[in-house]
Amino acid sequence: MVTNTKEVKGKDICVQRVSPEEKRELAYKDDVCVGCGICAKICPTEAIELGEIGAIERTGVDESKISIDEAKCVLCGMCSSACPVDALDLKLDEKSIKDMAEYPQLIKSAEISDDLCIYCKACETACPRDAITIARILPERSKLVTGEIEIDKDTCISCGICEEMCPADAIEMEHHEPTSSDPTVSSDITVNKDKCVYCLICRKSCPVDAIKAVCRSCSYGDYDLNPEDSETTGSSFIDEEACVNCGWCQEICPVDAATVEKAFEGELILNQEKCEACGACVDICPCNVLSFPEEEFGVQGDKLQADERFCIYCGACENVCPVEAIEVKRTAVKHTPTKSKSWEKQLSELKT
Amino acid sequence: MTAVELIREGLSQKEVAKILEMDRSTVSHYLNGRNLSWNSIEVAEIITKFCPKDFLTLTYALLNDSEKTRVIVKTCSKKSYEASVEESCIGCGLCVDTCLLNAIVLDDLKARIDSDWCNGCNMCRDVCPTDSIKILEVNNGY
Repeated sequence: MVTNTKEVKGKDICVQRVSPEEKRELAYKDDVCVGCGICAKICPTEAIELGEIGAIERTGVDESKISIDEAKCVLCGMCSSACPVDALDLKLDEKSIKDMAEYPQLIKSAEISDDLCIYCKACETACPRDAITIARILPERSKLVTGEIEIDKDTCISCGICEEMCPADAIEMEHHEPTSSDPTVSSDITVNKDKCVYCLICRKSCPVDAIKAVCRSCSYGDYDLNPEDSETTGSSFIDEEACVNCGWCQEICPVDAATVEKAFEGELILNQEKCEACGACVDICPCNVLSFPEEEFGVQGDKLQADERFCIYCGACENVCPVEAIEVKRTAVKHTPTKSKSWEKQLSELKT
Repeated sequence: MTAVELIREGLSQKEVAKILEMDRSTVSHYLNGRNLSWNSIEVAEIITKFCPKDFLTLTYALLNDSEKTRVIVKTCSKKSYEASVEESCIGCGLCVDTCLLNAIVLDDLKARIDSDWCNGCNMCRDVCPTDSIKILEVNNGY
């Protein structure tokens, strides 16, 4: 008889069934799980149970968000296909069913086009899962300005005013204590032309007019500057494991470089009368959809507000709400086609 | 007994020896009635008349070899079966892993049972989490 084995590593769970025919392995990652309970809803053998996610999220109870009964689990993979954040993954002989055409997959994606991206980092800042990294290479400052600067070292009295005033830290003096053999306070003064922006503050502040400087950007406009030199280049990276396809990057991007496709469509219904403003929903929401806006400056409000543009209709907030003040309706579950009637049925039953 | 059946089906002694992984001369001795324990033949006959599940599991337990078990059980089972899988199958593969005769494969998330190999042991039906398997004995006109 083939039987399942379960291995628990920290809060992660792994259920295995090994037969001469094949090895099936279901892996659950707790740090990726958002506590939506969709796995428990779709499981045809009721092997998965959603834990006390409110307590886990708010009081740091040290347990997994879901439990898997290995005696009931048949390793069919429905939980893995339906998980909106890919916290569960079924592998058949080490190959994930997410890479197999016969298994239906949720249609969801997030992409940032490098052709359009201007590397402003708005998405990186807004992403509620810290899934985005923007690596950017800034233009060289010296190529964006043009001018000339010269210090007449014979006139210079080494007072150091220009060095102190320079906003670009472009002037450096070699200070030293005067001695009988060298009765000066500085042996040299240099201007770093890669740093100088020709603002002319040094020239204006020099008490002995030892600095000659001119800014050509001002007098000649941008003629001798190469526009390409002013471009910021870089690359963007989305951590697929952390990304939940919430749409923050798409909404915040000023140049429409981010595109997000969501697997579920639906409606988020808040019942303000029932809500007791405990804030559990705000804490659990993986998409930063919910908030209690300040009523006046510095005073936390108690009216729950939702921005559905960022909602993935996972239902975690509904699960965690102790007073049933939130209802998450799912009206569409988008997935790749499957020939299996039972899979089709189970997936469509995620609609409410 | 398997050897007798296989010879009846028209196989040569050499082929029979190869399938059962036996020495050819041993096969020949058996078939000619030498070195034969009538007692063990009687036991073997009783085993083949067990219910299909017991016949299969006992044979597998004795041989611990799935290929030989398949040949012996299929050769000595006289009944045929018609197996069908309903749409409620979720493609979990439990039946595939359970079937000792390797008669089941998954096809687009649905089990497909090769009725020619099915010996009616019903073990797949028993493990199926969704009760999707139906196995019927085919009336051969007896």
